[in-house]
Amino acid sequence: MWLAKTIFVKYSVLVFLLLLWELSGVFNWVDQAFFPSLSTTVETIVSMWSKVHLFMHLMVSLCRVLVSLIISLILAIPFAFLFARVLPTFFSRIEALLRVFSIINPYCLFPLFVVFFGSGEIAKISVLTWVSMWPIFFSTLAGIKNVDPLLVKTAKSMDAGPITIFFKVVLPGALPSIFNGIRIGVEMSFFILIAAEMTGATAGLGWIVHSASALNQVTMVYGAGLLIVVLGVFLNRSLNFLRSGLFFWKEERDPIAGITGPLVGAKRISNTTLAIMAAVFVAVLSIGLYEIYRAEVMLNDPTVIPEYRVWTE
Amino acid sequence: MGFLRKYGCIIIFLSLWELLSRTGIINPIFFPPFTVVLATIYKMTLTGEMVIHVRLSLMRALVGFFLATLMGVPLGLMLGTWFKSFYKFTELPLEVLSQINPFLLFHILILFMGIGEAPKITIVFWTCLWPITFSTMNGASSVNKNLIKAGRAFGLGSFGLLTKIVLPAASPLIFAGLRLGLGYSMFMLVAAEMMGASSGLGFLTLNSQESFQLNKMYAAVVVIAFLGLLLDFIIYMIGRKYFLLANEGYVTVGEN
Repeated sequence: MWLAKTIFVKYSVLVFLLLLWELSGVFNWVDQAFFPSLSTTVETIVSMWSKVHLFMHLMVSLCRVLVSLIISLILAIPFAFLFARVLPTFFSRIEALLRVFSIINPYCLFPLFVVFFGSGEIAKISVLTWVSMWPIFFSTLAGIKNVDPLLVKTAKSMDAGPITIFFKVVLPGALPSIFNGIRIGVEMSFFILIAAEMTGATAGLGWIVHSASALNQVTMVYGAGLLIVVLGVFLNRSLNFLRSGLFFWKEERDPIAGITGPLVGAKRISNTTLAIMAAVFVAVLSIGLYEIYRAEVMLNDPTVIPEYRVWTE
Repeated sequence: MGFLRKYGCIIIFLSLWELLSRTGIINPIFFPPFTVVLATIYKMTLTGEMVIHVRLSLMRALVGFFLATLMGVPLGLMLGTWFKSFYKFTELPLEVLSQINPFLLFHILILFMGIGEAPKITIVFWTCLWPITFSTMNGASSVNKNLIKAGRAFGLGSFGLLTKIVLPAASPLIFAGLRLGLGYSMFMLVAAEMMGASSGLGFLTLNSQESFQLNKMYAAVVVIAFLGLLLDFIIYMIGRKYFLLANEGYVTVGEN
């Protein structure tokens, strides 16, 4: 009974909205050519699976986000630790420049990156890296700064060396903040990815939307769009799930109840779940890299898949 | 001296750019010196080309931002106070809606609104709406309970409570949302103008890149960066003056 109530509270409005969308098609409230109903959109997604290699584009998009995430982690976190722990004076001198860089619009950098790296895969990934790097960098800095000094002092009084303090006190203390930066970074880069694929790409979900719209395939725009939204919600949810599972001990303010306490319903994530998530991560990454390669080959070989050529024209 | 210590790095960066480009260490065709870029901006301002683009871009960004403020702040206030229990119903739909990528929306909006100013302003509106709504909601729902009780004791009705207590107390968080929204507005606008427009700074960047007028492209990029910083600075100053930035005491951050 309690479960039924929670499900009702959580999903009723969403289901109602989706129902409204479907009914708008059934009763022809809006022009079907401009606003296809839910069932038509889902049907389109199914047909796109074989027609335009939807799986390939999905993987290409996801892979770009993941690769840029990995690069920005490699760049941002060591530098943040270096600046915060080793070179604080130097950092205070260059902080203004870094803040300016982080505010600079990534799109106006896109032409610059094209000049640097050509218009290939690297230009897109570097834009995404630029976008996700700054939130990770600054939240790592904030995390290190906000580590309770009492904990560091305690560790010192117990005769812990700087390396032990770093790995046992500072790093775990900063991790929730770092993860928050990762969450923001991934969300931003997924946002930007769609635009980057629209302006200059030959594969990916954003590219499907763009070329479908150029070819007046309205149902396909909606199909790919629905997929992008679902993927975005899914990414958001899985990052939140991971956060509450990894940092179940972290106290946080609940936005609605307004009280500080451990995350509601936070439980330590089991090792199996963690392993499964890591496996999915690696699988998406490797399949995605292969699919990027395949997309490149397909683009250069007109004889392989004739329909594919139609889409690139 | 303090100024130099803080902003000296920016001056060093710009002079390094100038120096490397002048000496040809980095290719001056791809990276024209900073002074040349400034001269290009000056020239384009004199011919009026830059003024047109800047005016159009600013107009789109600000109109979208104001519309989002007009809708987002009341919506957030409502969801954070009067309809608190309703929020549980709308949490998931709001999350889904906020995940609708503005560029995706752009392609769909064109179908309904044509290719004029309306779709561009709408996507700026859509982008700004979510940070403003969510942080207003966050601020409104976490107002110190004692303040509300005190207001009640002085005989304020629910509307009075909203305008006299919740709104001022939540203003630091509302303001944080507004600042985030304004930052996003320029962000998304430039991309929208790159995708489908015949005017505006984004169009200027892409168009000069495609016609290989790199001086013009850099001029547009520098102006976009400068405008972004300027808008952020202006809203920061306004916030410091009117929105009680320092006064976090009205919102419960610690224990309740």
